[in-house]
Amino acid sequence: MTFGKVLERHEREIYAYALRLTGQRADADDLFQETFLAAFRAWPPPHTEHLRAWLYRIATTKMVDRVRRDRRSVSLADLRLVAPDGDGPLRADLAAAIRTLPPGQRAAFVLHEVEGQPYREVGAVLGCAEDAARGRVAEAKKKLREALR
Amino acid sequence: MTGRNPVRALEDAVASARERLLFSAKRLGLTTVGYDRIDSPLGPLWVAVGPRGIAAIHYGDEPGAIELRRIVRTYGAGVVPDPKRAAPLARELDEYFNGRRRAFDLAVDLSGLTPFQRRVLGATTRVGYGELVTYATVAKRAGNVRASRATGAALGRNPIPILVPCHRVVASDGSLGGYSGGLDTKRALLALERAGDVPEGGWTPARLRRD
Repeated sequence: MTFGKVLERHEREIYAYALRLTGQRADADDLFQETFLAAFRAWPPPHTEHLRAWLYRIATTKMVDRVRRDRRSVSLADLRLVAPDGDGPLRADLAAAIRTLPPGQRAAFVLHEVEGQPYREVGAVLGCAEDAARGRVAEAKKKLREALR
Repeated sequence: MTGRNPVRALEDAVASARERLLFSAKRLGLTTVGYDRIDSPLGPLWVAVGPRGIAAIHYGDEPGAIELRRIVRTYGAGVVPDPKRAAPLARELDEYFNGRRRAFDLAVDLSGLTPFQRRVLGATTRVGYGELVTYATVAKRAGNVRASRATGAALGRNPIPILVPCHRVVASDGSLGGYSGGLDTKRALLALERAGDVPEGGWTPARLRRD
């Protein structure tokens, strides 16, 4: 496997994931850079893990780091990319609400509810058990429902 | 981004993020080989440039698993798209296919091959434009007069065809022999270099000796 192949196969989904996590293109771009540079530096992926899950896990860890580093306000500029088929105001509200979630819950929500990944995969990305992943998604949904009421 | 096709917008965003990523990765020394896919009269070519010169030319859109493994074993996984790095080769190939170039100026990198393969390919590199030699002659020049069969095998795995002109090597009976890119490709390259002089059934042995 070459870095070129890694990008060909996974750059789109990792970029989309970064965009959904951060809600804006400039941050998604930075997260994309950090994720792949970290993966290339740490290459090869651990034997115990699938490349795809490993990339998602790095992206999630980097997102958590970024949230801890700076808590900037959300820009809703590029939301068309986040949920292209959604309804305008609702989409914006949801993206803003997602941005307020703690990073672990945010990642769990995006992976399961937006990207449709099963709880087992979500757990693998977040480094927690399937049940814990289910708990995080449930907690995230509860908070989002409250925020959007 | 409003008013644009969202799928197209995402593609564009990914492309510009990739470009920035590859620039950083290169600057940080995380990449070793740059590749590109270029068009040629013989169809698409996958070409790769390593730290010491041209590392691979492959007939088709991308190399097979075995060839890719050799590249990764030799240069590491830092093999990335890099049209800029491949541009000088693309230019020389273009000149060659247009009949405006008879020899290549770019260095070839034969690392990752066995010493015998390197000797065989090295001897092949010295066969001039449009000339014909036999597998036996190359074997002799590579230092092992009895190794024509092994020479044929080494040429069959030539990672840099065209630049290492294994198409100029034919069987002792005057027939074309083999070619990794297919015999039609071999015939087309020889026709280009010999102004069309490629007899249907090959050359007579007497003709080969004269050549």
